Parts: sequence; C-alpha cells; structure tokens
Amino acid sequence: MTRYAEYLLPVVVVVVGLVLLAGCRGPVESTQLVVDTDSCLGCGECVEVCPYGAIEIIDGDAVIDPSLCHFCYRCVEQCPEGAIY
Amino acid sequence: MPGGSDILMNIVTLLLAVLPLTAAGSALDGWLDAATGGDSLSPGMGVIEGGGMLRGDLWNLTVQGKYVVTDTTEITRKFLDEYSVIDVNFKVREGATIVNPDLVWIMDFNEKTPKMVLPDQGGMAFRHGYYRPGLGLETAFVENFRLNMRGLYWNLAAEHEDGSDLGWTGFMLDGRITWDSPWNTSFQAGAVTRKSAINKTGYAKTWNRYDVGVSLHPGGMPRNMYLTGGVTYSVYDGRDFLQRDIPDRLIARIRLMQMGVLPSVTAGTSFESVFDFDGNEIRMACTALEAGLIWKFMKKARVPSTAILSGKLTRSAIRTQTARLFTRVHVFRGLSVLAQARARISPTYVAGAGPYRKSYVAGPGLEYRFGNKIRIWGIIEHERTNLTGNENWWRIKSGLELYPGTVSF
Repeated sequence: MTRYAEYLLPVVVVVVGLVLLAGCRGPVESTQLVVDTDSCLGCGECVEVCPYGAIEIIDGDAVIDPSLCHFCYRCVEQCPEGAIY
Repeated sequence: MPGGSDILMNIVTLLLAVLPLTAAGSALDGWLDAATGGDSLSPGMGVIEGGGMLRGDLWNLTVQGKYVVTDTTEITRKFLDEYSVIDVNFKVREGATIVNPDLVWIMDFNEKTPKMVLPDQGGMAFRHGYYRPGLGLETAFVENFRLNMRGLYWNLAAEHEDGSDLGWTGFMLDGRITWDSPWNTSFQAGAVTRKSAINKTGYAKTWNRYDVGVSLHPGGMPRNMYLTGGVTYSVYDGRDFLQRDIPDRLIARIRLMQMGVLPSVTAGTSFESVFDFDGNEIRMACTALEAGLIWKFMKKARVPSTAILSGKLTRSAIRTQTARLFTRVHVFRGLSVLAQARARISPTYVAGAGPYRKSYVAGPGLEYRFGNKIRIWGIIEHERTNLTGNENWWRIKSGLELYPGTVSF
C-alpha cells in the first residue's frame, strides 16, 4: 500500500491542481498579484519595468505594494521565472 | 541625490575604520558575476555584480554592488535602464538574538531619467535614486518561539515634472512570531504596516496586514519524498490605487519533491491556490501549478551533466503558461555544451500585440568551468514572438562568474 501511496501523492497534487486551474477563470477585477517566493530570484527585472514604484526587492524577493500597483502586468510579462501572476 | 552620497561616504569611512579591528580571527568570501549580451534590438545589455562577506564567530558584514544596463527595446518599456544598487548588510549575534542593520542605496544613471507615474493623478516625476536604511531583529525564546521584526525607511530622490522636489518617503514595519511545534508544524502570526507619503502632491497612504498561518513539513514520508505545505490568511486594512478596500486573502501552498523517482531523476510539483474575501464575496483569485523533472547523468565526470524539464501554469485575472528545457552535457575537462528552450504565453503591454504574447526562445551554448572558482559561458538564442506580427531575432549572451574562495585571517 505504501508503495502505491508514494506514487499516488504526486498524481493527486497534479490532478487537483489541474482541476482547480481549469475551474479558475480569474476574478473580474484583480485585487493583488502574487509573487511565488520559491521561484523569485530577486533579479529586479520587475522593478525595472514598474513605472509606479510599486515593487521592491526585500531580502532577495520581489515585494509588491498593493496600494501602488496598477495591474499593468508589465512585471508579469517581464519576470524571467514566471514568478508573478 | 541630496544627502545620499554623504551618508554612503560616512558608512564607507566607518567600515574602513572598523574592519581592521574586527578582521582578526575572521574569514572573507568574495564573488563577482558579470553578464553581457545584445541583439539587433537591444545591443548593450549588461550586469556586473560583486560582493564580499567578512565574517567572524558572532557577526558578518556583507557588501554587495550591482551595476545594470538593461534591455533598451520597446518590447517591454523599461522604467529603469541604467542603475546601480549598493547593499551594506551587517549581522551580529548575541546568544539567540541577531541584530541586522542594513542600507540599500540605488542610483539611477543616464539621461533617460526614469519617469514615474505618481499615485492619485499626481502627475509624472523623474527618479534619481533612493536610499533605504533598515534594522532587523531576530530572537528565539522559550518552547521554540521565534520573533522577527524589521523596520525599513525609504527616501526617494525624485523631482516632479514641474521641477520641484517630491519629498517621497516611505516606512515599513514588519513583525512575526513563529512557534515550531513538536508535530512537524509551525504556526505564525504577524503584522505589517506600510506608509507612503509625497509632500509635493499631498499623497499619504497607509495600509496594514495581519497574518495568521500554519506550515507543515512532515517527516517520515515514503522513499526520498519531501512535502511542505502551508496556509496563510491575511487581513488587509487599506485601499488600492482605485480607493477600493484591499480584500482579505487566503493563500494555500503545497510543494512535493521526490528524489530517485527513477534512477537519477528528481521530480518536483508545487501547487498554489489563492482566495480573496471581498466583503460577502469569496472568489478564487489565483491558482498555479508547477512541475519539473531533473535528470543528472554522467555523474563521475568533472562536471555532472543535467537535463531539466519544467512547466508552469497560472490563472488569475490573466493567465501564463511556461515550458522550459535546459541541458548541460559534459564534453571534455571543464567544457560542457548547453542547450535551452522556452515557450511562454504571458500578458503583454505592447500596443497592438495583446492581450497575450507567445514567445519561443531556443539556442545552444558553451560553458567552461575552472574547478569551482571560475565559470565562463556563452549562449546564442533565437526568439520568435508575436508582437504586432511574428518577429524573429537572434540574441547572444555571455558571462563570467568568479568565486576566489575563502580567505582566513
């Protein structure tokens, strides 16, 4: 049983993820962007394209100020790691 | 910037005075990374990054510098196109307590001074840089409780388009308590307050965030399987740029990695889901799924060969899709052949190209390693992307990474 469980768990995570992805068409209006801190390299390319001064690199991760962000998605387009969405 | 150079000179003078006294019984690590590249659209990209860490038994001092000349194409217009970052970070430990003052100083160069859009229709401004001193505190106390606190202060050197000084300052205070329980679970509670003010336009905004969270890191998983997960609920007190309340947010993450799923193959999967609580409405705001395989082969060679295949899907108000392949195959002595490919769909800001941009990048490269101290690499890429029409261009990139090793005093 344990032998099957070790293969089942990754499959469950992927399947649940795909189902939720398929079901999520996104909110009508964005409320905040998300930074995946595990993927973020802190390279600063998002800072370079943000004209609102809404992004800072703090302790090696991009941090977005939700009061300054205008949802232009330039940072999403620019991020080489796809860490902002 | 007014006062900025004086502050930096004072810090450098202080460091030069103190370092000889503290150097006895310490060790120095240094590093240097340089990368450059160009293509027909953006001929002069480059990054030089270097730094050093001087460390003793109970303290360390890290000084890092970075000089960047960015891609100047209009594909995604850069707000910053030439700038430098200096980060001076000092940590000292006393028992279970770490005190961490640091200073980040950014200077914007060249004639194309960054043009900022000011909040609340405040007009445009030209930024020349900023400095950001900070102070962190970390301590541990009874029963595996940890306390982290940090304060940051921003002072931007920026002038309004009418030529007057903006007087833009910011402040952030961040505090968090973590309890590492005996059940492979950590509980966190924290709060953040952030204030921004622009004297020139009268802009002043403060937002607060209060977090509670739990993270799991169970042990005893089946063969070489590592699982981490966490849930954080954040209550926001503040408004966004349209003066709407920032909704509360629940973020759930799970990350799973298994080594040796096949011989020499590591598999990783992560999934994240975000829910917003906006008044009486609860909506799924974002989801992301990422999966990857890492295969290491020819392990006995001087440089192990690697193949990495990964993909990522995200959905929020926008969607992104990324697939990547990277290989490094050892050939002879320190020489390896590189190959990479990436396909990506992302939103685009390019007028007439949107709403989504599909880009495909692929190309070969070479890498040479002199032991663990020097790495030289070069890559030629071809990019095809649909902007106002499908466009194709070549890009060449190269770099040098130098790590001379540790010097003990």
